[in-house]
This record gives sequence, C-alpha cells and structure tokens, in this order.
Amino acid sequence: MVKVAIYPPNSLVLADLIERKGHTPLALQKQIRQKIKDPEIDSPPMNITEEDPINGLKYAAIEVPSGVRGRMSIIGPLIDAAEAAIIVDGAPFGFGCVGCARTNELSIFCLRKKDIPVLEVTYPDDEDGTRLMVNQIMEFLDSLPGGGGDLEGDSDVLGEPIANKGGK
Amino acid sequence: MPANLCITPDLGKEDMDPEVSTRMIILSSKANVSESEVVNFLHMLNLPITIKWTCYGAMISGKDEYVREAIRELRKLDPYGIFTKERGFAPGDPRRCRGHRYGPREGFHQMEKEFRILDYVGEALKNPRDVEIEKKEPVSVDYFKEILEEEENKREDDK
Repeated sequence: MVKVAIYPPNSLVLADLIERKGHTPLALQKQIRQKIKDPEIDSPPMNITEEDPINGLKYAAIEVPSGVRGRMSIIGPLIDAAEAAIIVDGAPFGFGCVGCARTNELSIFCLRKKDIPVLEVTYPDDEDGTRLMVNQIMEFLDSLPGGGGDLEGDSDVLGEPIANKGGK
Repeated sequence: MPANLCITPDLGKEDMDPEVSTRMIILSSKANVSESEVVNFLHMLNLPITIKWTCYGAMISGKDEYVREAIRELRKLDPYGIFTKERGFAPGDPRRCRGHRYGPREGFHQMEKEFRILDYVGEALKNPRDVEIEKKEPVSVDYFKEILEEEENKREDDK
C-alpha cells in the first residue's frame, strides 16, 4: 500500500479511486480534523494559529507571506508523507480548496521536486476526457507496489490515519 | 458576517475522540440507489455510527473500524454509483453546517464541480475502454498569413 498525495488535496474523485485500488490517499481533511480537535486552539473557527506560519518555515522562506506559510504547515506534512502523487492540471477557477494560487504553485512544485512517481492529468470537460483521466489514474495506481484492491471495495481499502508530522 | 466567525462549537466527547472519523457518501446522478435507500441500508447495518441524510447522499461518523465496515457494505449496493471521501468536521458542526450559518458550505463548490463528472467516472470504471483525444493545435502563423493575404486580395478586387 502506497500513500498517494493528491492535488487538489480534498478531491473526491481522486481519493475515491485511490481507495478503490487499495492505496491510501493523503487527503487534507485528516489534517484539518487534527486541527479542529486540538483543545489548545482558543478560537476553533480560526483553524490557523500563530504557530503555523512558524511551522511553515520548513517549506517556504521568511519573505513568503504568512498565509502561504500557514497553509503549507497543513499541506506540507502531507507532501512529506507522500510516496506517489496525482496532480490535476488545467482545472477551472474555484476547483480545489486551498484558496491561494501561490500555495498551489509551491505545493505542486514540492511534489514534482520530490523523487516520487508523479502523474499529471488534465481536468476533463467531457465523457472521453473523463475516461482518459480514469484510465491514466488506474494504470498509474496499478504500477505502484502493494495495490490491487478490487474496484468494488470488498477488500480492506480504507487506509489507516497518517501520523501528524506537524513540520516541527 | 459576524455569525460566520463567532460560532463557538459545543463539541461533544465523540467530536474530540481521535479514533472517530467522518465520511461523506456522495451518489452520482446515475446511481441505482437513492439517498433514502442508502440511509435505510446504513441504519439496518446496526452499527454504532451517526448517520445523517443529506442532499448529496449521506454522512456517517463513528469509530474508524465501524465507518470502514459500513462503507465496505454500502459499496456493494452500487459499486460504480457510490463515491466516498473523508470529512474533517463532524456532521452538524456549526462551523460548517448550513443550518447554523450563511452562504454555501465550504467545499460545496468543489463537490458541485466533481459531481458533474461522477457519472462519467462511474461509467469509465464499469466499462473501461481506451480512448484517444485529439488535441486542438493552434493555427500556424503561415496559414494565418495566407488567410490574411487572401482577404486583402479579395478586397482589392472588389475595389
């Protein structure tokens, strides 16, 4: 089983396909869940604390805006844990959850720079495009070691929670 | 927008439990099951999980092992029409739930976009076949010049 980073990090289609093939998607929701359960956060709707931009220094320089560093403190541990990655290119405006173009660029750059197998697919507009994307993803997931969950999800395809590396 | 920022969630014991996970179950529009069938099926499993009926399908929350089991059983109903993903917030959390605040829920727009291709994804999983897509090439500069010259010649002839 391989931990596969996805971009956008909250994608339903990518996470579902990865689970169907018996791998673990590194989805942002798990990181967010750890954040919102933290009893040390005084104001829970504000998920970013003053610690986060400091943790983000591992991934971006001090000149980089604190918003990017704060986001990277959540996305960064996912990139660190990644053993493979699937990136969707050419998505329409509003696709993805990060809400910051520079963080998107930095995260995709970090994934490409990392010495792991990376698949880049184009966001589909029609049926043929979607078929192509699904075929490419399935082929890529089959090539990774330890996969092979059946498509119907009968085998134990839901991955274990990832450890919070925290970037500290 | 003070209502969006000032909600203080009254988190229960389950919400703070690290072993509890929440998953969204999203049905594609060509799914063979309806939202009510999904919810009934989940209730009939008799697992200790919280089940919420939603417009896109359902949401379940509980200990990770029970949630996994529920998803595994549920997928058997319609393997190519039921899609699931993890969710960070618990069902009905006032920081995300539309019942407690203004505007669309965060993540709605992403789901709306992905929902449009879910049918195609299900179809591609059910009947896989190779496809080739021709990429549209931009018009070459030489061809563009030819067209311009032709047009100019036509106009001169008209004069």
